[in-house]
Amino acid sequence: MSKASAPVPFLKGAFLGALMVSAATLAPAQASTFRLGVFADALTIDPIASSDNASIWLELQVYDQLVRPSEDGTRLEPGIAESWTISPDGKQFRFKLRPDAKFSDGQPVTAADVAFSLQRASSEKSEWARFFKPITHYDVVDDHTIVMTLDKPFTPILNNLALFSASILPAKLVEAQGAAFFDHPIGSGPFVLKSWSRGQGQELEKNPNYWEKGKPAIDGASIEVVPEDNSRVLKLKAGELDAIINVPFNQAESLKSDPDVQVGVAPVFRIDLVQLNTTRKPFDNKAVRQALNYALDKAAIVKGILRGNAKPATSSIPVMAYHDSALKPYPLDLAKAKALLAEGGVPDGFKTSMLVSAGDATERQVASAIQASLKKIGVDVALQTIEDSSQFSTTKSGNYEMSLSYATSDTIDPDQLVGFTAVNPERANAFHTQWKSDRVNELYAAERATPDGPERGKQFQEIEQIVHDGAPFIFLYTPNAPYAARKNVSGFEVLPTANYSLKNVVVK
Amino acid sequence: MNVVFFSLSRLLQLIPVLLGITLVAFLLLRVMPGDPATLMLGSRGTPEDIAALTRQLGLDRPLWLQYLSFLSDIVQGSFGRSIAYKTQIGPLLIERLWPTLALVGLSTVFALIMTVPLALYTAVRRNSLADHAVKFFFVAAMSMPPFWLGVLLVLLLSIVFPVFPVSGYGKDWLDRLHHLTLPAIIIALGTAALTIRSLRSSVIAVLGADYVDTARAKGLPEGTVIWRHVLRNSLTSTISVLAVHTSWVIGGTVVIETVFGIPGLGSLLVSSISARDYPLVQGLTVTFAVLVVLINLLADIAYSIVDPRVSLS
Repeated sequence: MSKASAPVPFLKGAFLGALMVSAATLAPAQASTFRLGVFADALTIDPIASSDNASIWLELQVYDQLVRPSEDGTRLEPGIAESWTISPDGKQFRFKLRPDAKFSDGQPVTAADVAFSLQRASSEKSEWARFFKPITHYDVVDDHTIVMTLDKPFTPILNNLALFSASILPAKLVEAQGAAFFDHPIGSGPFVLKSWSRGQGQELEKNPNYWEKGKPAIDGASIEVVPEDNSRVLKLKAGELDAIINVPFNQAESLKSDPDVQVGVAPVFRIDLVQLNTTRKPFDNKAVRQALNYALDKAAIVKGILRGNAKPATSSIPVMAYHDSALKPYPLDLAKAKALLAEGGVPDGFKTSMLVSAGDATERQVASAIQASLKKIGVDVALQTIEDSSQFSTTKSGNYEMSLSYATSDTIDPDQLVGFTAVNPERANAFHTQWKSDRVNELYAAERATPDGPERGKQFQEIEQIVHDGAPFIFLYTPNAPYAARKNVSGFEVLPTANYSLKNVVVK
Repeated sequence: MNVVFFSLSRLLQLIPVLLGITLVAFLLLRVMPGDPATLMLGSRGTPEDIAALTRQLGLDRPLWLQYLSFLSDIVQGSFGRSIAYKTQIGPLLIERLWPTLALVGLSTVFALIMTVPLALYTAVRRNSLADHAVKFFFVAAMSMPPFWLGVLLVLLLSIVFPVFPVSGYGKDWLDRLHHLTLPAIIIALGTAALTIRSLRSSVIAVLGADYVDTARAKGLPEGTVIWRHVLRNSLTSTISVLAVHTSWVIGGTVVIETVFGIPGLGSLLVSSISARDYPLVQGLTVTFAVLVVLINLLADIAYSIVDPRVSLS
């Protein structure tokens, strides 16, 4: 602790002596354990029953999948499957498993385990069933070969197999133990769950049988739940933690000046936008929606509030695979915005309201900036702060005019976010805006049946262009996720899917 | 009436109170916007997926049927299954009960340690500089929101002078004591501000009583007069202030547990409300209600011990 000064050891000693606190609390952490501060505890370690980030993070340390996203999020790389081939008609996937992949109890990972785990993931019990349902047949060829067959081509399936919900579990153990398996889970990932105190965190230890040689570099990790943003930052500064995630933007700057701390920013697949309810006047008019986009100075918001940690957005898809970098964000152009308002029949502007999540300081600031910008073209926005969970259901029920929100992608394939934010009807009626483009729907169906490659890329780029022009949202930005670590830590990274990886971490 | 019989009858009286609380908690949750199935599936759910999950969770059944099954879960002691955690609620509540009890217990001890000497001293030395200083300090402590006081004390005692950990709960009991001391002091400051004032005025009133003069006239040393005659007769009203405030503190753990990352019932309540985990919120509401009733029961028993003239009836 660099800030320790002369009176401190005395004070500390006096207090501890008085309370007879064990010396263990003072002992420095062992160099080979890594202490990470996160904002929420995992709810479950059953991969088919999780939808919260903390559970997903834990599962990714303990389980392995057939394939996984590369660290830069641009392609899929081998996981438990060392190679795979896809039949020319796109309906058959043949995976060859690594012969040296083992579960942490020493049992080999077999094709039967893969078939069991994926069938479980597409069963009625699974919250993720629809991601795996396109696979209609599993054929275990031998211990290390499995062939999966689809009724019709479905290109996103390979990406779905990289999801945590496609984690490979030991079939015999899960069948024998049922739900009790998840009290002491066995996986083939880099770590083993040693203990878990609810609400407090988890202790992980290195999986001695992990197939990636020489990894993990640390003997173990302790993941500590620190819900309060400031406490997490203070614990890192005090040396009680080695790294933290979800550093608030305004604290990232001040952390950079701490000589013992390094701050990183991860580009993540997240898009922030204002949903516009296109069933309500005047948002049913495209010119009005475009006017709102022209009225906003995105660069100023990014610079002033997000301290430069974001890129202005062009559509409802963040910068990820197949993104069209030639497409530019709506520029700030008040004259054009006013002309478009006039074209839309509201030349003097109008009064409206915007839902804003109550718990998030950054979002409240962004909302005020949007309010101030739109006032310049005569659009008077009343801000309505609302609790997170209520915001989602209020917009879903269509009972809103504007709503400041965001969407994140679980996979590195834009298919998931397109389905969510642009297609109607589908999962969310274009993220509850009710905006509809028949051409987007057509392209979505086509993209899902087109093999990965330039043709699929063109389809996504056309979708992006149509969403950009149709403007069912005010497109804001794709933010980076700041994280921080002590200077003696290397290899801690936050991936574009906003998940972190601990297998490369080194504590010096 | 003996203590056991009294306690049992009070616990029986608890049944209608709890019934009322369960009904209010149950209905309030259902009128809140947001439902668990939609929140769990989020961006992935189609309307059909959400409908299927709602059915799977039993939330498509008539309200009265859901309420009855909630009551039957309570009677069986299981409280049902948590929607978010996907485990039985009973063990989850017990696991999270201890940190809250430890925090509330420790803060009550600290409050008493501050209250008794300071109240006696300021009552005996009325209007002295020390009296005014104590009054000023505790009014100031009480007026500051606990989270603000928490952040200030963490900066001072964890960062500038690293005596206490910033947050967390610790691993063994000594480590836990170390972790809980700072949050407990913050809670205790708020409690002590009230109890010192209450005890000080009772002591002042008792100091003028005839039996105190008699005790002094008998030649008892001043210390004995204060401890045996004055303090004992002043404590009853302070016990009720303490009980009321401790009941309030139990609800207030929501803030302190979140700021200090203590895995207790308060922080569990916050996360379960945002997940609309109906069964868990219901289970927590009942637990909080039981705790408040138990604290008041303990206060009644404490009265009778301090002042045998108070009968338990």
